[in-house]
Amino acid sequence: MFPDVRSRPPAEAKAAARGALTISDLDKSFTIAGAPRAVLDGVNLTVKPGEFISIVGASGCGKSTLLRLIVGLDAEYSGEIRLDGERIATTSLDRGIVFQDHRLFPWMTLGQNIELALLNTDTPKARRAQIVADHIALVNLQGFETAYPHQLSGGMAQRAAIARALVTEPKLLLLDEPLGALDALTRVHVQNELQRIWMAQRSTMIMVTHDVEEALYLGDRVVVMSPNPGRIRRIVDVDLPHPRDRSAPLLHRLKDEILAELTARPADPANLVRLPGREER
Amino acid sequence: MTPQSRIAAVAAPLVLILLWQLACLSGAFPAQVLVPPSEVARTLAALASSGELERHIGESMFRLGLGYVIGALAGLAFGATIALSRWAEAAFGPFFLALWQVPVIAFVPMLVIFLGIDEPFKVAIVILAAFFPIALATFDGVRGVPRTWFEVARVYRTRLPDLVWRILIPATVPAVLTGLRLALTRAWVVLIAAELLAADSGIGQMMEMGRQMFRIDVVLAGVVVSGVIGFALDRGAKAVERRATRWRTA
Repeated sequence: MFPDVRSRPPAEAKAAARGALTISDLDKSFTIAGAPRAVLDGVNLTVKPGEFISIVGASGCGKSTLLRLIVGLDAEYSGEIRLDGERIATTSLDRGIVFQDHRLFPWMTLGQNIELALLNTDTPKARRAQIVADHIALVNLQGFETAYPHQLSGGMAQRAAIARALVTEPKLLLLDEPLGALDALTRVHVQNELQRIWMAQRSTMIMVTHDVEEALYLGDRVVVMSPNPGRIRRIVDVDLPHPRDRSAPLLHRLKDEILAELTARPADPANLVRLPGREER
Repeated sequence: MTPQSRIAAVAAPLVLILLWQLACLSGAFPAQVLVPPSEVARTLAALASSGELERHIGESMFRLGLGYVIGALAGLAFGATIALSRWAEAAFGPFFLALWQVPVIAFVPMLVIFLGIDEPFKVAIVILAAFFPIALATFDGVRGVPRTWFEVARVYRTRLPDLVWRILIPATVPAVLTGLRLALTRAWVVLIAAELLAADSGIGQMMEMGRQMFRIDVVLAGVVVSGVIGFALDRGAKAVERRATRWRTA
């Protein structure tokens, strides 16, 4: 009712009004070969507007499934996922997603690919070209407006996909291992870009990754998940201002901690290799 | 094409023609059976200057054009329908695949009984020849659109007309164009064969008349013409295909 705007810079005050995500008691299971199999079990998470959340975990911990539920591509779940109080049941232009494969359409130029996201918006046609140009500039791809996806490098294509996801100004941007397919150097470069974009946009972002360093470098908080079924194991606060220094000691200490947590877990009987003949004594 | 391969592409047929001419000059075969290429060229020139060749080509091309357009439209519609509707696929899929195994020429006797040997018969045979490959290519093309692209459309809440025009159709264009190209040359081959069997005009009929009058030079002139036209159709269709799919990685 009485927002205290004096204590905050204006950009943050605007962001504060939108992009609050609450996940409560979320369960999700798939039916595999006739038997239900829990993928997510009792997930609870509250994301503040404008926050950058990283999710790390071994493969099979349901982190991609979680993003699909949040973006609305899958509406079959029990529990609650709410964005600014509204329960998520389908996709919406309020929520953008960047996939691991850039998923740009190969027959469209970079500009056309980005404009596609604006087709079902009430943005006036005359303004669209400008908005597309602004977002191409945001991801530093000026001059490539008429390039086809196959003419772009992996890192450029992924930045283009980020521009497409941001062009509708979603309250919440989901990133599903967006840098997973890039080589190490390009990865670092796009991570820096992503940090700069997030600081410029201040929309809420949730990124799934299996790179702990990346998760810590970008995230205000890092959600550590464990598999079979996917559960939140721990949430790590990364109390460092952005832009961050990769060599910050805190990041390294946290990285060791999280890696230890992810790798040295107590032996789970379901994961033990069973040798033939030793099953029963 | 590199200059070397260009030279090879021209040299190989020239060498063959030369060997053919030499075989004729050796006198080992009666001149009426193994007509020398020089004779075929003369006949071809005579047919062209009398306007006879032009008439036959015109008739054949008209049948090809009309039948192909109808067959292509029907094939596109049918292929898209069985790709998009599980029910239509279940109902017509197996029947369609069984018919696809029947050589188009095998329909000739039945078509002649129903349609006679006039234009409708020859257009019908072209329709049949074009329909099957195009329907199959369209089916594969539509089914082959990755699920992930539909997800992108869902994320951006793309409306159905935009989904169809901007995503579904461009995504199926490469497969459909390949089908259209294969169907075109196939329809041409089948048309010539049908004209050989039953017709009153066209390249195939010209060849059949030549055979009946033991004018092997006319038969061979027909072979050359149908080969050159088939080759040109394929090249032209390939050029269209390349232009329409320039966005693909080369």
